[in-house]
Amino acid sequence: MAEVIMNPEPARRTARRKRSIQGRIELLDIVLIVILAVLALLIIIPFLNVLAISFVTQQEYLKTSILLFPKEITLENYKAMFEDGRIWTGYRTTAILLAIGVPINMFLTTSMAYGLSRPDYPFKRFFIFFVVVTMMFNGGIIPMYLLMKQLHLINSLWSVVLAYGINAFYLIIMMNYFSNLPIALAESAKLDGAGEWTILFRIILPLSMPIMATMTLFYAVDRWNEWFNAMIFIRKGNLVVLQLALRSIVIDSQISQQLNISNIQTDKQFTEGMKMAAVIVSMLPIMCVFPLLQRHFVKGMLIGAIKA
Amino acid sequence: MDNNALIRRIIRSKETYMLILPGVIWFVIFAYIPMYGLTLAFKTYKANLGIFGSPWVGLEKFEYVFRDPAFMESVWRTLWINLGRIVFTFPVPILLALLLNELRLQWYKKTVQTIFTFPYFLSWIIVASVLINFLDMQGLVNGVIRLLGGEPINFLGNTTLFRPLLYLTDIWKNAGWTMIIYLAAITSIDTEQYESAQLDGATRLQTMWYITLPGIMNTVVVMLILAAGNIMTAGFDQIFNISNAATAKAGEILDIYIYRITFQSAADFSFSTAVSLFRSVINFVLLLLADRICKMLGSEGLFPPIRRTARKGRAILRAGGA
Repeated sequence: MAEVIMNPEPARRTARRKRSIQGRIELLDIVLIVILAVLALLIIIPFLNVLAISFVTQQEYLKTSILLFPKEITLENYKAMFEDGRIWTGYRTTAILLAIGVPINMFLTTSMAYGLSRPDYPFKRFFIFFVVVTMMFNGGIIPMYLLMKQLHLINSLWSVVLAYGINAFYLIIMMNYFSNLPIALAESAKLDGAGEWTILFRIILPLSMPIMATMTLFYAVDRWNEWFNAMIFIRKGNLVVLQLALRSIVIDSQISQQLNISNIQTDKQFTEGMKMAAVIVSMLPIMCVFPLLQRHFVKGMLIGAIKA
Repeated sequence: MDNNALIRRIIRSKETYMLILPGVIWFVIFAYIPMYGLTLAFKTYKANLGIFGSPWVGLEKFEYVFRDPAFMESVWRTLWINLGRIVFTFPVPILLALLLNELRLQWYKKTVQTIFTFPYFLSWIIVASVLINFLDMQGLVNGVIRLLGGEPINFLGNTTLFRPLLYLTDIWKNAGWTMIIYLAAITSIDTEQYESAQLDGATRLQTMWYITLPGIMNTVVVMLILAAGNIMTAGFDQIFNISNAATAKAGEILDIYIYRITFQSAADFSFSTAVSLFRSVINFVLLLLADRICKMLGSEGLFPPIRRTARKGRAILRAGGA
């Protein structure tokens, strides 16, 4: 999957020019507005449906075929979901993963990016090449699993923390950012006898708050969404990460449903509502930071880092 | 430069090396050792001897791999599924970017952009949960079909609908984000071209076709080459979460096959590594091949645009000061 983190702000100049030359609404504009509205609704409706189901009773769910705006709101499904306990375990594990993992990500990435960005030291090209190679080749999951086994990290959260220590793409973005800070500041501090670590923490980092914030956010989102490594490295029930907890609630039961077709729920508990409550709860933090994520790349701060 | 001067420079830079060191250690342990671990494909893995100590056996494992019919099937399946992605899902973000670029209501454009990019930041587990709920027999889509008097369709448990399902859900989750890349490319098109087109009386559809689209062609080519280099790997997260017992066979791409033979049955780690090495080599060869073909067709290929974007990014960062 290739991703480019770029300035998405579309041609403002172009837009301004267009508006000044032809201000009237044409047929094309209306067609566009309608098409894009339909597509946007195709994205919104599934979410709205999930949200609605999470707040209704089984009776209303079975009665209504198109459920988007519930008539009566109940919190029973959320209660059932928390009583089930799996989401709590997931939340706890993922919270620990974020609390340990993100600072380690940021420490490793920042110090290495700053070091690599220094203007003149022997073997600079070699070290950058050393990083870039890992963007093109990787050992894959099997050697990683065997390595974790040899390090005795299987069934420990450290395996998941350490397996994703540095994202080479984020590292390169940060390195480019640091390379473009004025070096005069660092040089004068050096003359005053400050060491590189002091310069990094006292001078460079205060100048780099926007990029630090963005990177923290990106790592945090990656950690939040992390499940594959956890599935492979951790087989202990009390260390299930949130995404896998959600998977066990929603998707595994779906798989068994496919096998017996009579799947209208008749049990006391309204499982569909409980499942959708779990989806909402797992999505909530991403929804909260999304405006921030959005603003950061709209600002055009992370430009031109190709992630392949 | 003689050796002494070099050593002096190294000593002078020791603090820089200290900054790099933690990262280098991480890369060595968690990137380079696993990379070396790919040599397991030519060894017989013995748990007590580890990756380094296990004895070499040459190409023996590959012989077994190619004799496994499930392997060859999954190779072809992966190729077909992901070629389908290039045909059906690859053009969608380009189209979206072209449409969105023509939109003149700025607030509307921003809103649409926000909605389109949101699903990208969710994991496939969440996306699959949302879409399974939307599409299953009791889901909203079948609710509408029933309301209109039709027979409900089993979207999720049907092998013939499985590939369209993959492409559509892929578009649903990722097209918005990829669209952003193309929108960014559109911003760098020279505005003079639009102005002269305007003077010549070109319609908006004509400018879209003759200026905007050619203007982002380089980006399209880069994305296409990267997609080619991903043909043997794309889709694990998606298929793992969207397939079920009924569609498991239709979705067994190479990565799912590797997962199945490694973590679900009695594992032969060397065998699995041989498969995954094979997969990486094919990916890499396809990447280089696509790059070469694009160059033969007159495009500049993968590497110059990447270098240029990096340069441009640096220039913008400098100008903006962020």
